[in-house]
Amino acid sequence: MVSFRKSNPGPVRYSAATLARKGLSGDDWPRVWRDHDLRKTYDVIIIGGGVHGLATAYYLATNHDITNVAVLDKGYLGGGGSGRNTAIVRSNYLTPEGVAFYDRSLTLYNSMAADLNINVMFSERGHMTLAHTDSALRTMHWRAEVNKLQGIDSSVIDPQEVKKICPSLDITSHPRYPILGALHHPPGGIIRHDAVVWGYARGADHAGVHLHQKTEVLDILCEGGGLADGKGAGGKVTGVRTNRGDISAPIVVNCTAGWGSLISNMAGVKLPIVTHPLEAAVTEPVKVFLPAVVVSGSLHVYVSQTDRGELVFGASVDPLATYSMRGSLSFTEELAGHILELMPGISKMRLLRQWAGLCDMTPDYSPIMGFTPVEGHLTDVGWGTYGFKAGPVSGEQMAECIATQQTPKLIAPFKLSRFETGELVGEKGAAAVGH
Amino acid sequence: MTMRRLPQQPGEVIDRSQPLKFTWNGKPAVGYQGDTIASAIAAGDNRIMSRSMKYHRPRGLLTADFWDPNAFVQVDDEPNVRSGHRLLTNGIDVGPQNVWPSLDYDVKAANQLVGRFLSPGFYYKTFIHPQKLWPAYEKVLAQFAPGGTVDYESEMAYFDKRYTHPDVVVAGGGPAGLAAATAAAEAGASVLLVEHEHHLGGHLRYGTEDDRALANGLELAARSAGVEILLDSTVTGRYEDNWLGIVQRSHPLASERLVKARAKTLIVAAGLIERPYVFEGNDRPGVMLASAARRLINMYSVKPGDRAVVLTANESGDQTVADLERAGVKIAEVVDARAGGNVTATAGSQKAVESVTLGDGSTRDADLLITAVGWTAPTSLLNMSGDRPVYDPAGARFFPDRTPDNVLVTGGIAGDGTLDQIVEHGRETGALAASRALAVAHRLQALTARAMPVSDPEPAMAPDARTPLGRDPHPELYRSTTHGIVDYSEDVGSKDLVSATKEGYDSVELLKRYTTATMGPAQGKLETVNTVAVLAEARGETIAEVGTTIWRPPYAPLTLGALAGRIFEPERVSSVHSWHVANGAKPILAGQWIRPEHYGNPQAEVTNVRENVGIIDISPLGKLDLQGADVPKLLNLLYTNKWSKLGVGSVRYGIMCAEDGVVMDDGVTGRISENRWLMTTTSSGAGSVWEWAENWLQTAHPDWDVHITPVTTSYTSINVAGPKSRELLSRLTDVPLDNDSFDYMQVRPGTVAGVEDCIMWRIGFTGELSFELHVPAGYGLHVWEALMDEGADLGIKPFGLEAQRIMRLEKGHFIVGQDTDGLTKAPTTGLQPLIKLDKDDFAGKPELAWAMGQGVGDAADAAGMDLPVLVSVQMTDSSIVPPEASQIVRPNTNEILGRITSSRYSPTLKASIGLAQVPPSHASSGTQLTVLLTNGDRTTATVQQHHAHFDPDGLRLRS
Repeated sequence: MVSFRKSNPGPVRYSAATLARKGLSGDDWPRVWRDHDLRKTYDVIIIGGGVHGLATAYYLATNHDITNVAVLDKGYLGGGGSGRNTAIVRSNYLTPEGVAFYDRSLTLYNSMAADLNINVMFSERGHMTLAHTDSALRTMHWRAEVNKLQGIDSSVIDPQEVKKICPSLDITSHPRYPILGALHHPPGGIIRHDAVVWGYARGADHAGVHLHQKTEVLDILCEGGGLADGKGAGGKVTGVRTNRGDISAPIVVNCTAGWGSLISNMAGVKLPIVTHPLEAAVTEPVKVFLPAVVVSGSLHVYVSQTDRGELVFGASVDPLATYSMRGSLSFTEELAGHILELMPGISKMRLLRQWAGLCDMTPDYSPIMGFTPVEGHLTDVGWGTYGFKAGPVSGEQMAECIATQQTPKLIAPFKLSRFETGELVGEKGAAAVGH
Repeated sequence: MTMRRLPQQPGEVIDRSQPLKFTWNGKPAVGYQGDTIASAIAAGDNRIMSRSMKYHRPRGLLTADFWDPNAFVQVDDEPNVRSGHRLLTNGIDVGPQNVWPSLDYDVKAANQLVGRFLSPGFYYKTFIHPQKLWPAYEKVLAQFAPGGTVDYESEMAYFDKRYTHPDVVVAGGGPAGLAAATAAAEAGASVLLVEHEHHLGGHLRYGTEDDRALANGLELAARSAGVEILLDSTVTGRYEDNWLGIVQRSHPLASERLVKARAKTLIVAAGLIERPYVFEGNDRPGVMLASAARRLINMYSVKPGDRAVVLTANESGDQTVADLERAGVKIAEVVDARAGGNVTATAGSQKAVESVTLGDGSTRDADLLITAVGWTAPTSLLNMSGDRPVYDPAGARFFPDRTPDNVLVTGGIAGDGTLDQIVEHGRETGALAASRALAVAHRLQALTARAMPVSDPEPAMAPDARTPLGRDPHPELYRSTTHGIVDYSEDVGSKDLVSATKEGYDSVELLKRYTTATMGPAQGKLETVNTVAVLAEARGETIAEVGTTIWRPPYAPLTLGALAGRIFEPERVSSVHSWHVANGAKPILAGQWIRPEHYGNPQAEVTNVRENVGIIDISPLGKLDLQGADVPKLLNLLYTNKWSKLGVGSVRYGIMCAEDGVVMDDGVTGRISENRWLMTTTSSGAGSVWEWAENWLQTAHPDWDVHITPVTTSYTSINVAGPKSRELLSRLTDVPLDNDSFDYMQVRPGTVAGVEDCIMWRIGFTGELSFELHVPAGYGLHVWEALMDEGADLGIKPFGLEAQRIMRLEKGHFIVGQDTDGLTKAPTTGLQPLIKLDKDDFAGKPELAWAMGQGVGDAADAAGMDLPVLVSVQMTDSSIVPPEASQIVRPNTNEILGRITSSRYSPTLKASIGLAQVPPSHASSGTQLTVLLTNGDRTTATVQQHHAHFDPDGLRLRS
């Protein structure tokens, strides 16, 4: 692995010393990234300026010296799933493939502040998945056993230990679904998601990557394929058409979420993706009282408290497929009911804001990464409800995939062709509400 | 302490005959009935209400209403109480939040000294090295989190919900909203008027004598017209099709109530929110909005200061001057912004304004600076209706653009006019809303009601013929020539916004995320437009070009309790539950159900079933009554096996797959009569299988003659199992039970213990001769007790879920979801013979046809796909029962091959038995497996020839 720790990902190094100098001199900080005109040609075009796209660009430039790269986003950087998720990271997945992959992601998150020279405020506060039923407890044990063999710190703890970690949880038998135990994963935690986006953007920009905001891809240009306009299997990409003009490129990578299937469809590649909204909400701040990330699969809820004091809630995806990102009232009602089952003492806390993001769900709840039947078109999509956790490792691996034109071992299980060969990845159980 | 309470004011809302005692900041204080907490505190000559979030600067009242960012207090165990709005009650303990050690001396105010280093996003730029210290830094930073303290040990308060379906909901009870509600009600509509404040009339309530008279008249008219009025309530969200969330904060019983309304039309009359002005020292206590001063003087009879400078750009500011003079406040200067006047700074101590610097550089001694520089249109509900309001520089605010037919806008948020024009616009809006509600009502009736069919054509949606409100010119006043605070609750200043913009966070969304401006408790009501204005100025663009963020629900924060209501988590128990409780059953949660796990000794329960007879309450078993000529088609579609030839009186077992071939559910279905079938599903599948079947019927086969009725709780289901079960049952029914009359896998309707319409079938989940009874639920307990009584001499004993689990494992029956998982394709469960690929079609067929073509499920053909196969195993050491989820590994390694999915000690076989998922290479009979126990020990197990450990030929259940 190429080391990039010594590189300086910005024009000015962030540190207490610089902060002090700027504070005394009153000088402006240099731009965190720059605007550019579109070049006519890039070596690689990445569609989607979220954590996946930006990380891919960053690692292309820093690990593989490929810098003639453009990242295109129809809005602003980090405005999609990267800015709408609940910022939980963990690696206690169910399958060996999942564990290996997310463990690498967690490793990258752990060293990210130093690597990107930005404080991403990774709070390694522990992650608890509560069990309220016998069968949930059985699944926890299963995950714990798999994790243990993979070297992941993850174990089943009893209600008293749960209470010790999070005193606000009601572990009595009074609730309809009492807490019977939990899967405790100390290395899990939360992170400032925007900082991750900005860190990768700043690093990529400094390495020479062009970041183009408000640049919408209208079409992917192809030749040689079996479908209209040379799209489809057997063809290859030649570039993209955007609202700012055409750009040519031999490699076009789809790093979008929410519209992943629509984008690849522009190259004639059909992806087995159904898009569902995932809703989230946040309360007014109160003094910090909830020290760990708490997840309840049975109650369809997860919650953490930010360092700003807000409780951040999420749930499972909405049952109906839609591209609408409007929050619903029923979501907040069910959410509040379930939260108060867990913590009846916080009934007077107030909900401040709700929102929704889009999740591209695949049949086996695992992503679609790597090559497609159209030469030069690669995907890093289908991330369902857990794309943020995987951002760094996805970028690292996709960059390697692009640079070497070989599928790296870590992402091989997630190839598109698995839906033809039936080699699905079994994360459905672990990822359904698995934050 | 000086009291700042004025003599009685003509419009005051306090009741001086009702004094209320409370404590503020640890000291006793008094106020009156009708006071807000903030007005009572201000009346006690307290200028400092709070400390700011980041720099802990002292803060005083700014808006003196719900949105006041400086007036958050802790009231007893309740954090973040908006004291500018919450009414004072007797005996409460009110304290400041986020101060240490006290409001007056806060050590964290030291942050101001290093303020120049705490530029926006400073935390992203430091604490990076060494990384191992970050957790320690984080703990310190978390100490600086704002807000009050939640007492999580407190009891959950009482909350409630209400549903209502008014024709018209009016959001806002100011002059336009009152007029609109009255006009709509007079036109025959049912109207719900929702007012955010404690009084109707909006800004008229703190206006002149004439204003109050008008408000009173409008209120009287609305009440006479039959408008239902909710005070201290807010429409917090507008969702699809005018589904409205309304929070009612004042309710006689509930702490808060969520009113859910489906309005045929919604009138948004939310008024305007006065906007603060950005200049140096604009957060010093004593700087106050005009509306705040008028509230304090006219409603609460509190004198806001002694000597005032008034910066006015509108009539409201002008009127404030008169109010101040009447209250005895000396006017140091009236600065008219319309004539080019400006204010650039305040000076004084941290805790009070002492002088004000004007635009010409001169200063005035004053302890009060009133600003009246314009309004923000609270377009939140319009955003939620799909509108994107448009900025008009001439009016210096955003105006509505386009709303759907069922959302109308009136009042100040819609435009300007005289009070008469506003009221008239409200009346026209109310009439229009009522007439449109009729059209909506007609449409709904036509869509949904079969009992009262609609014959006449739908009336046209009435066109909008209202006389539009005008737009008064107003100077654009956002930031003075100096820098000041923009977001009071987040402690973000205009200088911070400019520097973040220069740094590249130059779109409104990025700026918001980087600086946290607009993300605090007011959610942009006061600061969004100022933020946008500062950004526009820094970019050299207009406010319209920069655009705003989208306001999301809720408009006003509401408690988790109100959203949850009286938490309804249903418990399901069978009609025999009381017997189980009385007879010492240990309960177990199984989904929504509570059922007996055992009655003391599950091993003995097993033995008793194997030797005598036992009964188990299996009521949670999912049950669907299927009727109609096309039921066989449905069964053929849902199950993988064939159902066309199932005759009357027979039952059959089947498995259901999802479209990906993964096992979804299993169970037995019997044909009771020519056109009636009873389907049973797993307990957890009761709901999902019903939905699955209905989904197929309603989307793919609406032409089929099939009627599905879920009857899970209509029947009490009892399994009578054991070699003596036939004898027992024969004592209670006339239905012949011998093998010739009633064979294995057959069903008979009949009378049991005098109860008619029971259904009995012979199946064998436990592996014994057994009869499954489905008894009309009202008689379930009677039949259960009759069985217990009649079986006494046969050695009958009840058995619970645990004994059943042991017996089914002895028989090798899998449980969907425990022994199978999200990837278990049907052929790998050992039930290949039940998959009939020669059927026309069934759910999952294409996937299964493909998979079986690859050799899936054929353990002998490991060349196919390497999917795990379900096998029976016995542990070599019968004293070791490996915990379920124990991993099967390659010997002497940690390489995972599979796992134990079920395991028990079998009292019948005196062996440790289990089911396991293993790769095809390890699935053949006799294979030795290494099992890694959860405690780290290893043991071995052997793959068995049959899934059934016990009676593989099924002789007992056919006996």
